[in-house]
Amino acid sequence: MEYAIGLSEEGVRALSAARNEPEWMLEFRLEAWRIFEAMPWPKPTDEAWRRTRLTGFKLEDYQLNNAAPTEGDRTGVSKLLGQELDEMESAASLIFQDGGLLYRDSSEDLAGKGVIFTDLQSAVTEHGELLRRYFMTQAVKPDHNKFTALHAAMWDTGAFVYVPRNTKVDLPLQIILNQATEGAAGYHHTLVVTEEGAEVTVVDDLLGGKDGMQSAVVELCQGENSILRYMNLQDFDHSTWNFLTGRAAMQRNADLRWIQVSWGSKVTKAFLDIDLLGEGGHAELLGIYFPTGRQHIDHQTLQLHRAPRCFSDLLFNGALKDKARNVYMGIIKVFPGAQQTDAFQRNGNLILDGTARADSIPGLEIEADDVRCTHAATAAQVEDEYVFYLMARGLSRPQAERMIVQGFFQAVLDRVPVESVVEKLERVIERKIGG
Amino acid sequence: MSILEIRNLHAGVEDTEILKGVDLTLRSGEIHALMGPNGSGKSTLGYVIAGHPHYDVYEGDILLDGESILDMEADERTKAGIFLAFQYPVAVPGVSVANFLRTAVSNVRGYTDQENGSQRSGVIGSNLMPMRDFRRELNAKMKEFNVDPSFARRYLNDGFSGGEKKRTEVLQMAMLEPKFAILDESDSGLDIDALRVVSDGINKLATEDRGFLLVTHYQRILNYVTPDYVSIFYGGRIVQTGGPEVAAMLEEKGYGWVESEFEVVEVVEA
Ligand SMILES: Nc1ncnc2c1ncn2[C@@H]1O[C@H](COP(=O)(O)OP(=O)(O)O)[C@@H](O)[C@H]1O
Ligand SMILES: [Mg+2]
Repeated sequence: MEYAIGLSEEGVRALSAARNEPEWMLEFRLEAWRIFEAMPWPKPTDEAWRRTRLTGFKLEDYQLNNAAPTEGDRTGVSKLLGQELDEMESAASLIFQDGGLLYRDSSEDLAGKGVIFTDLQSAVTEHGELLRRYFMTQAVKPDHNKFTALHAAMWDTGAFVYVPRNTKVDLPLQIILNQATEGAAGYHHTLVVTEEGAEVTVVDDLLGGKDGMQSAVVELCQGENSILRYMNLQDFDHSTWNFLTGRAAMQRNADLRWIQVSWGSKVTKAFLDIDLLGEGGHAELLGIYFPTGRQHIDHQTLQLHRAPRCFSDLLFNGALKDKARNVYMGIIKVFPGAQQTDAFQRNGNLILDGTARADSIPGLEIEADDVRCTHAATAAQVEDEYVFYLMARGLSRPQAERMIVQGFFQAVLDRVPVESVVEKLERVIERKIGG
Repeated sequence: MSILEIRNLHAGVEDTEILKGVDLTLRSGEIHALMGPNGSGKSTLGYVIAGHPHYDVYEGDILLDGESILDMEADERTKAGIFLAFQYPVAVPGVSVANFLRTAVSNVRGYTDQENGSQRSGVIGSNLMPMRDFRRELNAKMKEFNVDPSFARRYLNDGFSGGEKKRTEVLQMAMLEPKFAILDESDSGLDIDALRVVSDGINKLATEDRGFLLVTHYQRILNYVTPDYVSIFYGGRIVQTGGPEVAAMLEEKGYGWVESEFEVVEVVEA
């Protein structure tokens, strides 16, 4: 296969050299490139790709980000990004644009606490040893799938969050990515490491990407007894091809709440895994989506119970309009010996137009005997009875429909533990529903 | 002084006629009880007055202060002063009573229209009655109508008992302050305490500037709320109208008597 400039082994070398990367990162990228080249592209006959086709997607159509911005002050931040920044109170934030860091700010002395919150590119040189231990070694490895291999070779933007032992960061850490250049390929990475007893909230806020593609990876590495709340708020342009692979690797008694908001993109294929490695882990994976027009959103989840006495609860609620399509596939897998597992999985779809379609494919693979697992999928329409009831109280038809949709998402919002994140989500939902 | 006139109303679903020529005039300050067996079309009458889109009107008219409301959508009728308390209120999970009522009250009182110029495409949260004023009024009315303050935060009718739903309907009526209220079996399924609370609410709201159509299957609520008129509804129309003595007679003779007296073959007594 022929690639445009950059999509080759020489391209990987050039990319690494341009970023002044140490030898280990170059080697890492080259190895990933070899894996990428060796792996076949997904086929429509692959179970994961049966309902989400790559028809019309050609990697060589997208330009690598080669003009990264230079980090500067707030004057370089556009109005739109400034609004994203101000909309949520945060301890610190990073804004990435077109393959590089544009701006950073911090309202707390994080470094004083030993907390690292920086762009990955800086982390490679400043925290090389630490980064090397976690970067695509524990949660998502390069050979996870074709897109993660590509990502490992080509990654450009991304944040490294490291919270040391028994350290707590109260306000969220916010990461904003704006792909401003049209037709570009982006490879955004999020790596969060919480050491034993640490506590933090991290928000990824993803924008832009007109006529482009994004192949992102999220890695959440949780030490024992650590508490992590992570939100991935994807609001790309409706012309973006979006591929995401995310996994939380959770040690004993780790506590995770992961909120996945899939708003934008033309096509999204997201693989999201909860990997419960140690006893007593507690994971909640909450998703909301609202495809309109011809948007196609596909979430494929895994709840991996490898250790006893873990709890995982997944709730994905979405509304669909126009000719939108949603696919949800989920598996709860309980390994031998993972006794006293509590695992739940629910997917609800609210179909606003007869032309929209939602497929929900839940699954259980259970190899332990003392477990409690349930899964449920519902698809409902906005019943005329509901709309009439609200209209009989003076609400207009659009207001009534919006209120019902908002109520439907509320079941998920009710479980988001951070007030500023809830408020941000409420505004985001309002914008989408009101539009 | 307002007047709601229902004239020779024929309505139904597709080709099935359910209302077969209803004539009824309701004035401000009046309480008119409409009593009839199950399946006689009482709820249908309420729905048609409120503007339910499933029902078609074949003939006749409904006039509010002389103007036909038949071309108005349900929300416009509510804004014009008509309120229907549902026999079976629908649960709307995720929508709190307070949030919903604030939007409803703002619409009915015209906050939405007032600020049309600056309207952010009708986004929920804009063009609303100021939160502080709304809260104050809601709290006062919850107290007055015996609804626990915790209901403000609960999701509308979600997990409510039958009695809680009907009480919330009365609270909604109190907030929306309609000219005419149609109460569809607001008494059914209530124990004696809940019936008292609901009746008490109705009596408080039964002011000179408001008219009530009290739809009921049982005579029981009329021990608490005294009607000016009582009509017997049967086979999709009113078959007899009089004062409270009609209710007493019905209590004594039962719906079996209505059936034999005004026999209409296709109606089934449930
Ligand atoms: N939406 C509808 N579609 C079809 N039939 C209906 C509908 N609504 C009511 N009906 C029929 O009309 C008749 C009257 O019903 P209803 O108005 O609920 O009576 P009531 O409230 O007096 O018990 C019943 O036979 C019922 O089955
Ligand atoms: Mg009825």
